Amino acid sequence: MTYLHDQMASTGKVKRSKDLPQGAERLKEEHRKVVKDCRSQIEHWNKVEKDYESLQDRLRTLPDKLSYDIMVPFGPLAFMPGKLVHTNELTVLLGDNWFAKCSAKQADTLVEHRKKHVKNALDDLQKVMKNFQNKDDFTDDLEKLAGDTEDFVDIREEVINEEEFTKGKRLAHKPNSKPKQEYLSDLEEDTEKKEGDEERTTGLLSEEELWARLDELECEEELQDERYRHAVRINTGKNTTLKFSERNEQKVQAKRKKKSGKSNGLSPHESYKITSPADIYRVFVDLVNGEPIPRKSILKSRSRENSVCSDTSESSTADFEERRAAFGRSWSHDDATHSDTSDGITEEESPTGTSPRTNGRFEAFTGTVIEKEPLPCSIPYLTIAPPALPTIPERKLEEVGPEALQEPPKRMSKFKATRLHQT
Amino acid sequence: MAEAIQKKLQSELEKYQQLQKDVSKSMSARQKLEAQLTENNIVKEELALLDIQNTVYKLIGPVLVKQDLDEAKATVSKRLEYINGEIQRYETLLKEMERKSEQHREVLSSLQHVNIFCFEMPQAADM
Repeated sequence: MTYLHDQMASTGKVKRSKDLPQGAERLKEEHRKVVKDCRSQIEHWNKVEKDYESLQDRLRTLPDKLSYDIMVPFGPLAFMPGKLVHTNELTVLLGDNWFAKCSAKQADTLVEHRKKHVKNALDDLQKVMKNFQNKDDFTDDLEKLAGDTEDFVDIREEVINEEEFTKGKRLAHKPNSKPKQEYLSDLEEDTEKKEGDEERTTGLLSEEELWARLDELECEEELQDERYRHAVRINTGKNTTLKFSERNEQKVQAKRKKKSGKSNGLSPHESYKITSPADIYRVFVDLVNGEPIPRKSILKSRSRENSVCSDTSESSTADFEERRAAFGRSWSHDDATHSDTSDGITEEESPTGTSPRTNGRFEAFTGTVIEKEPLPCSIPYLTIAPPALPTIPERKLEEVGPEALQEPPKRMSKFKATRLHQT
Repeated sequence: MAEAIQKKLQSELEKYQQLQKDVSKSMSARQKLEAQLTENNIVKEELALLDIQNTVYKLIGPVLVKQDLDEAKATVSKRLEYINGEIQRYETLLKEMERKSEQHREVLSSLQHVNIFCFEMPQAADM
């Protein structure tokens, strides 16, 4: 049985503590002590009772004779022959220095009364002893039960704190981790249908070219990400994220081809880094007529997008349509280089003029950038950013220079454009 | 700092021990009273068993003084009441002492903690 105990203890799961047998031992010791005490007391009271009984006998026989010849004790060392007279007259000690003169029979009654008390005490002691004996037996049984692995087991689990914390590390989702795959998988499926035909003709590139293309796209994206690190406030949500999504899709497709060709273990999302809240919007894109449309809200479903909810959305849809057309044309083109400046500046002036510019280039950014303070975006609540990134404020410092020129024109554009459209 | 705390600990400990002694004294006194109570109860009952013919004596020092039965009964009753009152008094006293000892215990434990903290830490540091 002990072997089993040790086994269980070693696993660390079921604690076969040494406390239990020790505690039980201690308890049993205490029980035994009490029982011993009780026994000694019972013995004492039994003696008292016996004494009283013998006294009663004496009392009954004493008045039989008028006088008795006895040896009377004289001091501590001598005796003297004498007579015991008035055998019926007794001075009884009642207790607490009280005495009473009474006859033998009355004395007998008194003794009887005292014997009652003694009996009561004895009964109490017996009860206590029995109680403790039972407790002792019970602890024995308990020990046996607890010790027995067959019937009952005291299930105890030690919480090994460190193990728990380090085992299942709660990592923030890396950009290439699964959740995004779900979103983009739909994308892949949908785009494949439409773009498949178009792409297949030009997509029959060699593997090396695909790889090169992929690398280019990655560099491009990094540049993009660097520049648009600060938060993009998307008013309508449609225009601004379009570029991101499209670019992303392109990359995805390229990667997909690569994947089909090479079937490497890389997921198509490795270049798909979410480093700012804007990137999230990239993820959430719907497909309308085979074209990716960024969602107005990542919580909303697509059905609501077609409804007319605001004035601005109308105008933006107008813009959007044109852009879409432009993009559709340029869909098949693969181009590595790309300039951000041209995007922002030219777009605000004429939406229609996007087509020549977009020849072969996916604009990273179709809408306006409204700069936010560094602080709010460094605390993104939706971001699924990998932990190893430099902090956003730092990045911002890097980009402030190059973008300083770009910002003012961009800031004005959106509202102005919409206002112009409206009026 | 550690020495001061040690001294404090010592004084507190002494106080606590004194208090414990007082508690035990009170306990024993109370036990004695309890015994007297039972005894007097028996006396009362036995006096009830006797009739007027029996002369009752009270031992005062070396002298047995004759007492009236009723008087004796009254005396015994009074004594009983007195004993009960004494027991009550001792009860409250004991409770009070128990409370104080509890406080002292807490103080002691806190001092011990502090003592361990600033006494064994430097020792550990030295090691």
